[in-house]
Amino acid sequence: MKFKQLGIFSKASVIWLGIVMFMVVFGQWIPLPKPTNFDIDAMGVGLFDSLKHPLGTDSNGYDLLSNVIRGARPSMLISLISVGIGGLIGSTLGIISAYKRGKLDYIVNTLFNIVLSVPALVLGLALVAVLATNPDPNIEVPTSRRVIVIILSLTIVIIPILGRIARGATLSWSNREFVVAARSMGMKDSQIIMKHIVPNVLPAIYAVAFLAIGVVIVVEGSLSLLGVGIVDGVSWGSMIARVRGDLEYAPHSMIVPVVVLALTVIACNQLGDILRSQLDSREGRL
Amino acid sequence: MSSLLSLSNLRITFDTPRGQLAAVRGVDLEILAGESLGVVGESGSGKTVLSRASMGLLTMSTAHRSGTVVFDGQDLSTASREAVRDTWGTGMAMIFQDPMTALNPVRRIGSQLSEGLRVRLGMSRKEAKKRSIELLQLVRIPDPEKALRKFPNQLSGGMRQRVMIAIALACNPKLLFADEPTTALDVTVQAQILQLLSDLRQELDMSMVLVTHDLGVVAGHTDKIAVMYAGEVVEYAETKELFANVRMPYTEALLNSIPRLDQKSSGRMAVIEGRLPDPTQPEPGCAFASRCPYVQEKCQVEHPELQKADNGHQFRCHFPLGVAR
Amino acid sequence: MGLDRTVKSTEPLKRLAQLLLVVLGSTFLVSLLIRLLPVGLEDIYVVNPDPAGRAREIHNLGLDLNPFAFYLRWLNGFIHGDFGSYVYPGPTFVPVSQYITRTLPVTLQLIFYVQIVALTISIPLGLLSAYKVGTRIDRFISNGLFIFSSIPSFVLALILAFYIGVKLGWVPPLGYAQPFCSAEDIVRANACGFREHFKMMVLPVVALAVPLIASYTRLLRTDVIATLREDFVTMAASKGLSNRRILWTHVFRPSSVTLFTSAALNMGGLIGGALVIETIFSVPGIGFEIALAIASRQYFALQAYIAIIAFGYVFFNVIVDLTIGRIDPRSRERRQ
Repeated sequence: MKFKQLGIFSKASVIWLGIVMFMVVFGQWIPLPKPTNFDIDAMGVGLFDSLKHPLGTDSNGYDLLSNVIRGARPSMLISLISVGIGGLIGSTLGIISAYKRGKLDYIVNTLFNIVLSVPALVLGLALVAVLATNPDPNIEVPTSRRVIVIILSLTIVIIPILGRIARGATLSWSNREFVVAARSMGMKDSQIIMKHIVPNVLPAIYAVAFLAIGVVIVVEGSLSLLGVGIVDGVSWGSMIARVRGDLEYAPHSMIVPVVVLALTVIACNQLGDILRSQLDSREGRL
Repeated sequence: MSSLLSLSNLRITFDTPRGQLAAVRGVDLEILAGESLGVVGESGSGKTVLSRASMGLLTMSTAHRSGTVVFDGQDLSTASREAVRDTWGTGMAMIFQDPMTALNPVRRIGSQLSEGLRVRLGMSRKEAKKRSIELLQLVRIPDPEKALRKFPNQLSGGMRQRVMIAIALACNPKLLFADEPTTALDVTVQAQILQLLSDLRQELDMSMVLVTHDLGVVAGHTDKIAVMYAGEVVEYAETKELFANVRMPYTEALLNSIPRLDQKSSGRMAVIEGRLPDPTQPEPGCAFASRCPYVQEKCQVEHPELQKADNGHQFRCHFPLGVAR
Repeated sequence: MGLDRTVKSTEPLKRLAQLLLVVLGSTFLVSLLIRLLPVGLEDIYVVNPDPAGRAREIHNLGLDLNPFAFYLRWLNGFIHGDFGSYVYPGPTFVPVSQYITRTLPVTLQLIFYVQIVALTISIPLGLLSAYKVGTRIDRFISNGLFIFSSIPSFVLALILAFYIGVKLGWVPPLGYAQPFCSAEDIVRANACGFREHFKMMVLPVVALAVPLIASYTRLLRTDVIATLREDFVTMAASKGLSNRRILWTHVFRPSSVTLFTSAALNMGGLIGGALVIETIFSVPGIGFEIALAIASRQYFALQAYIAIIAFGYVFFNVIVDLTIGRIDPRSRERRQ
């Protein structure tokens, strides 16, 4: 699929995700007020009111633009890493078990169902809460350790979601004539999987992976709001959580991170959608 | 006899990603009251589209129609959607190819059968049930009361097709379209269903349009035959006349492709070589030219008009068979 | 005549066995998880300085058992209605069941309203947009819902609470009212009664329902578009029925299997959503209680809550399996 052939909605999505990734990689070198410095002379500056703070400041005087840019990195990295690792583990499990069938498939499918039987947010919350605890409740768990725990937990949440997609797709592909033919010609299972199954299953996984990135961004935000995710306004979700009470005095301080987060989710959903509808038209209704 | 349905210069085109697809290209046909007409052609020849368009069942936004359809004195091409709908069921009805897909799988036979009676004829629940049983008897279904309570997937293919015929006949239509009514059925059942349709047509004094790809099917059951190719009528005659004096090479090819028991098998069935022309790219000459064994130069460049012989036999060929060339 | 229906498959039994395995698996994993805490449970709950008393308390909590025995002890209690306890230093035990009987009904009310609202809005929308597929109306509905569905429900909740609840003051931004007034409510002048109940529920229900409406409408739209291509729809039209009648009596039911399946299986996911929404709107439901239990490190209570959710998951799976064949006889054959 070429960029030119995309609809306007999808083009905008690609461009927006490009901007977000730029913020992730180069954000810290953009010449802006430090996100951790609060400007005592400019508390609650509105949107576009000041050249120094283009998106304004929150009621503490933190610059919103630089905070949003800094927030891109943890928010996106958490999503990309957990969907990446979870997707890799999940689809490997799903593909192999669906190809081999039998007991292995039953066990893997049951394991997927076990994890899926607990709602993603509850599971993520429980895992983070359990894994990021200190003996003394008064000592804060350092942010870096929290991030690792959150990534680990969300990876566990993602594994069965993508695993099940891979399993379903593999089940339908592994019965096709060309796979049976390859098997009858004495190709090794590992070769068949790599040559015939994986290339056909990958598009379905990509499509859902994009949707999953959106889901993880939201879950991460929810965790922050519930006070177990990233604190101190380092990620988008935690920026929203931090200014919860300020909606009345400085509504834009909430609207800025909300818009950025929502746009990112919309862009991911849109691209996932395009990939899925391409898949549907290629496959027909199976 | 009076004219019941008349199509004049009917054209149907579809918007497709590859451009305009002309499925029906200027068809004139007339069906008289009490008459039966067979419409024959390969898949893709436009015969199904023609029958659906005659009823006005093509409602998708990608389909475009021009020409006129007059049914029972009413011009349907200018009538409102409601007026057209009013002719469905009571004026015209249709039997579809596959009874498995044409019956609603989630509703019982009884409710599908009585629905038309209740909505269109305003019958009470009790009257509708009584009439439904009569209808099932009419199509020779054993134990109709029991059949009313079944779901479509609990019946055999032949029984399902009988149910569909009963549904089509429910509101006493004047004209029945049967679109490949036997294609999805076993060979042994096909003959039964065709005979049933033939009998019912005479019992109920209906007109019928029997659409099929099989000349053998229409042979014994219709008064007239129209052969379609690439969206056009290429030959039209009374059934006897058509079989006696085939004019169109395409019809001859169709006849040869019917497997026959009285001929020694040559090892492979006669098939018509080549393929239908691309309907999005109409060629200037005769549509059958590329596959015709008698093709001549004129056929490639000039589109043949429909010629009419004195006995009403019509054909669309520059060099018709049985005429000195 | 008809298909041979005498072959009884063992499929339902196998399915039930797998669902039971799921419950046992998820509860065991949770049990294992809380034993594998980076911090021992005894460090959190046992504060007795006296070694003998300490050993006795550890024994009472079952923390001297190996993880398997610990799980079996818990499972035995759970089956007999002992859902475990909140443990406070002392030690003081407060049974979780007290909390469950108080909070679960509230969440069930909330989820019930959400499903009703989401379905009553999305069913007509889905039918309409499939019927008008490709037109401006279809695009308007699809794109509009797409954007709404991408707004996280916690964001929607915060915005609703502030603008509708605080700024406009149409409904209370926080809290909960019982639909029936108890004597205690009257004495304490608590808000109660149907009017108050619905007023309090409006915002949480909207926040949870909006993303659902989008996904339900979409599921139904896809299936209705497929059904509209079926011959039996053309057949119904050829009987001369009106389009409205065809949509509702012929098209909706065979298209609704995916919708109802996902609505039923969504029940668990909704508890996750309720967790955040209840916290934002201070609705005393099970989601709020789970968040509190996690914040106050009540891991035994957490174990009970997760077990209940897992049981709910299995329950709704069984419901789907039992009812799906009634909605559409075809799905009996299709679903394996």
